[in-house]
Amino acid sequence: MIDIEHLTKRYGATTVVDDVSFRVEEGTVAVVVGTSGAGKSTLLRMINRLVEPSAGRVLIDGKDTMTIPEDELRHRIGYVIQGYGLFPHRTVAQNIATVPRLLGWDRRRIAARVEELLDLFQLDAAEFATKFPHQLSGGQQQRVGVARALAAKPAVLLMDEPFGALDPVIRGKAQDDLRAIQKRLGTTIMLVTHDMNEAFHLGDRIAVMDRARLLQYASPADILTHPAEAFVEELVGTTERPFRLLSLTTVQDALEPGSAEGQPVPLSASLRDALSQLIWLGRQALPVTDSSGAPVGRISVDRILRHGRADP
Amino acid sequence: MRAQAVLLRAAALLLLVAFVARPQLFAFAFEPLTANNASAIYDQGSLLALTLSHLRTVFLATLASSVLAVTLGVFVTRPFGQEFLPLSRSLVNIGQTFPPVAVLAIAVPLVGFGEKPTFIALFLYGLLPIFENTLTGLADVEPQTLEAAKGMGMNARQRLIQVELPLALPVILAGIRLSVIISLGTATIGSTVAAKGLGEVIIAGLQSNNVAFILQGGLVVALLAVLIHGGLAAVERAVARRLGRPAGAATSQPS
Repeated sequence: MIDIEHLTKRYGATTVVDDVSFRVEEGTVAVVVGTSGAGKSTLLRMINRLVEPSAGRVLIDGKDTMTIPEDELRHRIGYVIQGYGLFPHRTVAQNIATVPRLLGWDRRRIAARVEELLDLFQLDAAEFATKFPHQLSGGQQQRVGVARALAAKPAVLLMDEPFGALDPVIRGKAQDDLRAIQKRLGTTIMLVTHDMNEAFHLGDRIAVMDRARLLQYASPADILTHPAEAFVEELVGTTERPFRLLSLTTVQDALEPGSAEGQPVPLSASLRDALSQLIWLGRQALPVTDSSGAPVGRISVDRILRHGRADP
Repeated sequence: MRAQAVLLRAAALLLLVAFVARPQLFAFAFEPLTANNASAIYDQGSLLALTLSHLRTVFLATLASSVLAVTLGVFVTRPFGQEFLPLSRSLVNIGQTFPPVAVLAIAVPLVGFGEKPTFIALFLYGLLPIFENTLTGLADVEPQTLEAAKGMGMNARQRLIQVELPLALPVILAGIRLSVIISLGTATIGSTVAAKGLGEVIIAGLQSNNVAFILQGGLVVALLAVLIHGGLAAVERAVARRLGRPAGAATSQPS
């Protein structure tokens, strides 16, 4: 859990982060979005004290970060930056072992942890452990970067544009993988991006920043339906709104009893995907099946459209 | 190509060792260069002893230059030493531009004749390549890499020792190699102030107008330079490989 209280950063006369307060709940993902220069990176870097705040404070699991020595604090906080900053002179295994080594773990424990992480990130230990970063693809480097940040089981993971260097196809997959790993480990993540799709895709909560100020901190659905300011509405993109809303809702929420003809839609699919399939197949309704494949009802175009309205 | 280079080096090494250990065996080659029945092979001292003493002076001087230049390079790239960068650069540059002969002339009255003034001249002369390469090597470390190191909780010392120096090492080694090669040749002038070295052979040749001597002294120095250059370049490649660089990346420094 991260509590940000009245956090402010001034450089001379310019205020880069202006009195920002919000809380990231345990095991959730908070995404900070905004245009470049909005102060989101500075906000993130004040959490692990790479930037010293001018005012305000940050609490991690209730403890003021200023009471913990800088380096010790950073050992407990995972940090992933755009481009990852992997050590080019160290192998994948050595890169992942960085923080455990700084913490003085014994050799066997480090080796076990590295293997566990390589496994978690679907990197074959026999093949990748001894490779150097320049021998990896962009997607593999990204996974090593995140694995390295998670090595010492940090309470919190900070990510600054972690997918910025990836091409769109790999980016989507990397986001899904991160989400899956986050769910599995229950890590608290604060992620900075300027990509709205990424924010809606990953965030349990979204913080919108503009010119040093926090405009709104709310769930993705609230950001869409109740934007606090015109800028938030603009940033979300008014034409994208219904589709974003549909992608946040699953078929389960719009399920109706009955049956229909055609290829079944899984219960866990988003309404956006379901609608896309309905349009493509030219049908008004399709059957819905649960994870075991048993039919549980049907999903109709009307019902889906109702979920994409501002006031359902 | 590579096998050929290795063979050539092995041959050069064999030739050098044979010549230094048993110079009389090569007398036939140098006889045509002598006049008035002068001896064809330097006979006022053991070539082996002179070579070893020459190498010793060069080694000690380069070691001292390396320690000072790397330390200075690290110091002026730290936040607390940054303001000394221009000063250090000027001092090191003066060391390079001041002719070694002039250094000898100044040093002899202070420290006497022998190896000491030569050591001082070589030491000053060798600083610049190592210092500049240390700066380049440290400056070439990606800011992202340093940001990541800092963000993971490495303190300044850990960042220097675990990240910056290993990444700069191939470039620093290239600077040391350059400095050694320059010193090997420059050390010959040390014999003008009675330092034991291969310069003695050359100077004896000049004094008695014996081309054979001049050639012998020059030849041994040249062979040493070629062999040491090759050896150090191989060390650099090995280090670069261990540090995960594609081979050859480190040796592309200007030399």
